Amino acid sequence: MAEVILKNLTKQWGDFVAVDGQSLEVSDKEFLVLLGPSGCGKTTTMRMIAGLEEPTEGEIWIGDRMVNDDLPKDRDVAMVFQNYGLYPHMTIFDNIAYPLRVRGTPGSEIEPRVRKAAEQVELTQFLERRPKALSGGQRQRVALARAIVRTPKVFLMDEPLSNLDAKLRVTMRAELKHLSRELKVTTVYVTHDQIEAMTLADRVAVMKDGVIQQLGSPDEIYNDPANLFVAGFIGSPAMNLINGSIQGGQFVTTGGTQLVPVGGDDRKEVVLGVRADDIRVSEAGQGNIDVPIYAFENTGEATLLTVQWGRQRVIAKGDRYLRKEQDDMIGIALNPEHLYLFDPNTGSRIRT
Amino acid sequence: MRDNTLKYLLVLPAIVVVFATAIWPLIESLRLSFTVGRLSRPGSLEQYLGFENYIWAFLYEPAFWNSVWVTTVYTVLTVGLTTVLALGLALLLAPGGRFRSGVQTLLILPFAMSPALIGVSFRFMFNPEFGLFDAVFGVLIPPLADVSWLVDPVLAFAVCVMADVWGWIPFLTLVLIGGLASVPQDTIEAAQVDGASGWRVFRDVTLPQLAPVLAVVVILKSIFSLKTFDQIFMLTNGGPGTATQTLSHYIYFNGMKYGQIGYAASVAWLMVIPMIFLTYAYAKFVFRKE
Repeated sequence: MAEVILKNLTKQWGDFVAVDGQSLEVSDKEFLVLLGPSGCGKTTTMRMIAGLEEPTEGEIWIGDRMVNDDLPKDRDVAMVFQNYGLYPHMTIFDNIAYPLRVRGTPGSEIEPRVRKAAEQVELTQFLERRPKALSGGQRQRVALARAIVRTPKVFLMDEPLSNLDAKLRVTMRAELKHLSRELKVTTVYVTHDQIEAMTLADRVAVMKDGVIQQLGSPDEIYNDPANLFVAGFIGSPAMNLINGSIQGGQFVTTGGTQLVPVGGDDRKEVVLGVRADDIRVSEAGQGNIDVPIYAFENTGEATLLTVQWGRQRVIAKGDRYLRKEQDDMIGIALNPEHLYLFDPNTGSRIRT
Repeated sequence: MRDNTLKYLLVLPAIVVVFATAIWPLIESLRLSFTVGRLSRPGSLEQYLGFENYIWAFLYEPAFWNSVWVTTVYTVLTVGLTTVLALGLALLLAPGGRFRSGVQTLLILPFAMSPALIGVSFRFMFNPEFGLFDAVFGVLIPPLADVSWLVDPVLAFAVCVMADVWGWIPFLTLVLIGGLASVPQDTIEAAQVDGASGWRVFRDVTLPQLAPVLAVVVILKSIFSLKTFDQIFMLTNGGPGTATQTLSHYIYFNGMKYGQIGYAASVAWLMVIPMIFLTYAYAKFVFRKE
């Protein structure tokens, strides 16, 4: 059990900066998710914590020890790899037992501990098989069992669910969450899937270009994005970002439509962010503005209406029983409580 | 023309070539191995002796057993040394190893040389009067200054092994680099994080996954070692005496120099036995099903 502290951590390959002077503190027993698009440096950050990558600059602390010069084997971390990294020539039992064996655990202890770990991930009937004979989800469980068979200071998980099919991913996500709450071990989890991040994390660090854009609870990340990138990255469908200006406390779109009161000083260029859920859909004439439907999608649990608004398209979420056709006119109204303003040049949030 | 007929017509040339260059010589040499088969005696190629040539080799020819022994020791030493050294080099040169790819290109040079050329080069290098090794050893280790390498039976044998190992390491290194590249990096990193030292990662994870490629390397090299001829012919010509006379060299001498074609053919067929065994093992590893 330990906290993980990164101090000004940088990783460069030649001119390419993968991680740029990042500092981060993961508290003891916390589940922290590094979230970002591919190439944002999240996996590199994790690999540096594991010791598989050497930082160019900065310090890594696990517990009260600086581990920069420790080999992976001496850092007392357990890692789950994206492709599982199972040993194909060993049985499942031997795969799970390997971390115990190489660390010199007495032979009599190995069997019960492997069985317990296998039980926790519901794998007991496969112990004599080889990884090749298992399905993707089962292999994933083996990788998990191998990580939890001993009690490391830190769990590191590198996109552990990304190779599973969509349905299995949802099941495994719940199991993972259950397991992590049960084990209470400091965990750093890397993913590009925002749903995984939202559902699993105590705190999320959203990364882009090697820099953490925002660090906060899933609620904060979703409801109070720090900048344009976080706003556009979190949420499905993505937040609508509408270009315009502020004139006399009103947001006016680039096309000149006066839309919604936002307050604040006049600004020539501004981006208005609004989530699909915060756009109320009504019959034509009953909203702030009437717009034609560009596409109507029924997902079963809700309806998604993409509307053509001047030159921009905006997506709104409607009632699950709403039925409309393409090119129908509807009225939309933006919820003034949940609007976000950003500076289009710097991307930073404008708070009024 | 029917498709069926055309199909056979198209492969016919290949079958004819294989028959003329491989099948027929094999059958003919098998036939010769049961004849008196002396080049100096006309008609003796049709004079049948039954198994007498084989019996002669087994019971009355110490030189045959000598060459069997020489070939065996030569094969074991060259296969062992080449494989171990090539594996070491491959680990250093593989992606993620300590040296980069520029060195790989340089390393292929020895393999680009013909074995006969290697034989000649090594003979010159070990010449006691103007050889490179003589000059180098003379300066570094004075007692070795005037050793006549190719005159002493044991040293001459060692030089043959050395030349062969030198010539074969590059190719096997390249094969093993390919093998190492196919070992998933994930498994190696998983073992590192699981707590394994560098040696244990190699022993528990890398080596078992490399085993099929390693087996192919050992079998291939065994086949090549067993049939070594040209290099030995140029380097020592089997000498001094018969100290470096491998089976191939023994067959060549009996057949071409002494004109005992029938006897040479029978010894050649004795050599086919381990070859078939190795070829079978090779095919099994290369074409094995997942």
